[in-house]
Amino acid sequence: MKMFAPLLHSYWYLFRGAGMTLLMAGAAVVPATALGVVLALVHVFGRRPARSALQVYLFVVRGIPLLVLLTFVYYLLPLTGIDLPPFWGVVVVMSLYYAAFMSEVFRAGIESLPQAQWDAARSLGMTRHLMLRIVIFPQALRLAAPPFVSLCVSLVKATSLVSIVGLWELTMASREVVERTLAPFQIFLGAALIYFCICYTLAMYGRYLERRSLVGH
Amino acid sequence: MLAMSGVVKSFGANRVLRGVSLSVATGEAVVVIGPSGSGKTTLLRCINLLEDYEQGTVTVDGIPIGYRIDPHTGQRLRMSEREIAASREMIGIVFQSYNLFPHMTVLQNIVAAPIRVKGVPRAKAEARARDLLALVGLSDKAREFPVRLSGGQQQRVAIARALAMDPKLMLFDEVTSALDPELVGEVLAAMQQLARDGMTMVVVTHEMSFARDVADRIVFMEGGVIVEEGKPDQMFSAPRTERVRQFLKRYNDRYRI
Repeated sequence: MKMFAPLLHSYWYLFRGAGMTLLMAGAAVVPATALGVVLALVHVFGRRPARSALQVYLFVVRGIPLLVLLTFVYYLLPLTGIDLPPFWGVVVVMSLYYAAFMSEVFRAGIESLPQAQWDAARSLGMTRHLMLRIVIFPQALRLAAPPFVSLCVSLVKATSLVSIVGLWELTMASREVVERTLAPFQIFLGAALIYFCICYTLAMYGRYLERRSLVGH
Repeated sequence: MLAMSGVVKSFGANRVLRGVSLSVATGEAVVVIGPSGSGKTTLLRCINLLEDYEQGTVTVDGIPIGYRIDPHTGQRLRMSEREIAASREMIGIVFQSYNLFPHMTVLQNIVAAPIRVKGVPRAKAEARARDLLALVGLSDKAREFPVRLSGGQQQRVAIARALAMDPKLMLFDEVTSALDPELVGEVLAAMQQLARDGMTMVVVTHEMSFARDVADRIVFMEGGVIVEEGKPDQMFSAPRTERVRQFLKRYNDRYRI
């Protein structure tokens, strides 16, 4: 038990770091989801030019590691003269990054609905807007919920990357404590446990949504 | 009241409808029969523009659906999405695979369109829905989700859902083909009642007995064209074309008229 003394002394600092992790993830997940829905609609209904632009965007995001994007933007931003606090800078990058993946998840949800549902809605005289609102989205989002939650878990874990550009959250806090206490095993074990608790809770919620999505199917 | 004129429809290189013209009078029940691939289902789906077609026009009660002919230029113009959606309210369609909305209860399935598309007040829509459920014999299933119902029950809900929009024309696309034989009867009975009540309907089916008993007119299609049409008695006992005679032979042999 003496071995864990460094952790027992510093856990509260780590908890604060976790708070920042959650803040960062929360701030990124909202715009990422909103943008993801918009992009999915563009992908399904948009005209050629819009869809081509979207394809380029998806290529870039899926072809470049998030860490590289974060570092790139971190050093690029001051040069462009945009005066953005680093916190918001990384939130923007992470939102744009995850929006791409979320849009693919939402698109899959929409496209996996049988044509029959569209036929039925259309033949009842529904306009596209109404169809999407009461027939397509409720079903598509239920289908997309489990992979969406997976992406949210991934996003939470991805926040650890911002420590490389010097932003403070749980991983950065852990590194600071390790530097001070020279007890990397104990401290990172603590950090791992905290990450695990956050992510496991999210994953459980995802399983709950998955079970709920089976209602009516 | 339904007038289809010269409808041509291709899927890629495959010309499925080769210029079909069909008229249906108000209150008439027309049954379309024919071999698979003859274009029967495509024909039905062209009526309410679930399938887009290259040539021809469709009008219901004089109102064009999907495409209109410009009176000045004679050009065939596609109507706006809003106009098309509005004209679809006049036409009810029931599909082979019921196509109920699985995330809504039976009652919600039936009232969704009247409330959201027609703006009918909820109380009135629900009252009408319950009447329709009684009509198809499913009053006790209002709160169930479609997944809990048998195929025949789902199909009857689908009929009620289509009727809830007060259509002038009902289309039935092989609605019993996916059902267990013992469930077929209840659906056909509902359709027969509708026909007796004077609903204008076009029915694509393989159920020859239904065609004989309920149709005012039978249309035989093959290869994308109407080969022959006539009254059921005449079609079944003395068809004019050999192809029709051949097609009905199996039925006639079994159920000697």
